[in-house]
Amino acid sequence: MDLGLPPAPCGAAFPLLPGDLGRVLVEPAFRITAGESLAQANQRTRNRGGEGKDANLATLLTWLIPGAGHLYLGKFGFALLAFVIVDGIFLLGFTISGGATVEFLDPELRGRFALVLTPEAGNLGGLLWIINATGFPNIPVAPRAWPTWVMEGGMLTALAGFLNILVMVRANLDARTTSDQRRQSLSPVLAVGMTWVLPGLGHWLQGRRLRAFVVFVLLVGTFAAGSFLCEGSNLSRERHFYYWAGQFFLGLPSLLTEIISGRPLVTGPIRSADAGLTFACIAGLLNILAMLDAFRYGESKLLGESEGDDSAPRRPSVAEVHP
Amino acid sequence: MDLWVHIALFILLAVPIVVLGAFYNEQDDRAALASLPRRLGVFVFSCALLTAVMLFCEHTFAAVS
Repeated sequence: MDLGLPPAPCGAAFPLLPGDLGRVLVEPAFRITAGESLAQANQRTRNRGGEGKDANLATLLTWLIPGAGHLYLGKFGFALLAFVIVDGIFLLGFTISGGATVEFLDPELRGRFALVLTPEAGNLGGLLWIINATGFPNIPVAPRAWPTWVMEGGMLTALAGFLNILVMVRANLDARTTSDQRRQSLSPVLAVGMTWVLPGLGHWLQGRRLRAFVVFVLLVGTFAAGSFLCEGSNLSRERHFYYWAGQFFLGLPSLLTEIISGRPLVTGPIRSADAGLTFACIAGLLNILAMLDAFRYGESKLLGESEGDDSAPRRPSVAEVHP
Repeated sequence: MDLWVHIALFILLAVPIVVLGAFYNEQDDRAALASLPRRLGVFVFSCALLTAVMLFCEHTFAAVS
């Protein structure tokens, strides 16, 4: 089959893997120069860092469809992996919850854009799927029994939204950096992800131990105080749809507490319910700030910047990089 | 009694808000921690001012008694 490839050097091995074949067919800029093997050509082009692609476009494409940004960047393997993992988790969650999670929202709150304030909004394609499949906001109000796994399904669709945010961050960085740069320091994506797994863990991995300890104690402590004040009534998406969305960003501590506690029933008036909900929700929202801090520090390291250091090379704007 | 409980809860919640804000704005841990008293003071004072304005508006424009 003629692929339009320049002739390979005499005697050179020429293994055409599916991913490489895809690059040759889809990516016009990909060329093998004389005297170069396919592996060398792959390495050369990967080192160019996004190959002149627009980082914002890569991010937006990923928001629409997980992996689409990496497809645009010519990283077919990662694109496929991201799509399968993110949308796999999303579809699993949607299936076992029967799409009933959105029915937790009180009917009077079901506006056209009401779901934008949920973690699922991190995966726009998934969010549109939910809206299309359930008919939101015009859901029939007739009561029905929730599917058995509705809570766990809701957790998975929310998790898919957050994972897609990580893929978006990765797409943005991949378009702006070279693979050599990315190998030299801890990935900001990993730092953000670990900060979600355990508040402060991303900072710890970056070597900022004091900050990690303070972030962990304050955020997990605030969440624990909130859960105590409202006697665990915050640990249910069905009961507090939006507060749950906020505390979801505290990561595993909030999800594990919810699972282990078994979502305590409310058996009477709770004196400090409002204060407790506020505490727990703000702990999750503040963890977003901690994730942004971890990302910014990692990004500075990756791009060789030093904040407040005028002698450090200035980061070029998008217009300068891609005129 | 309830008022003091609410003030105590507010101060308690103000601490993580201010600390995380300081960490986000200062990459150096020592500088961030050193700025905490000033930041906490500004935050509490600003919230108190906002509360006073809201109470004034409520008393002036929205009270039904």
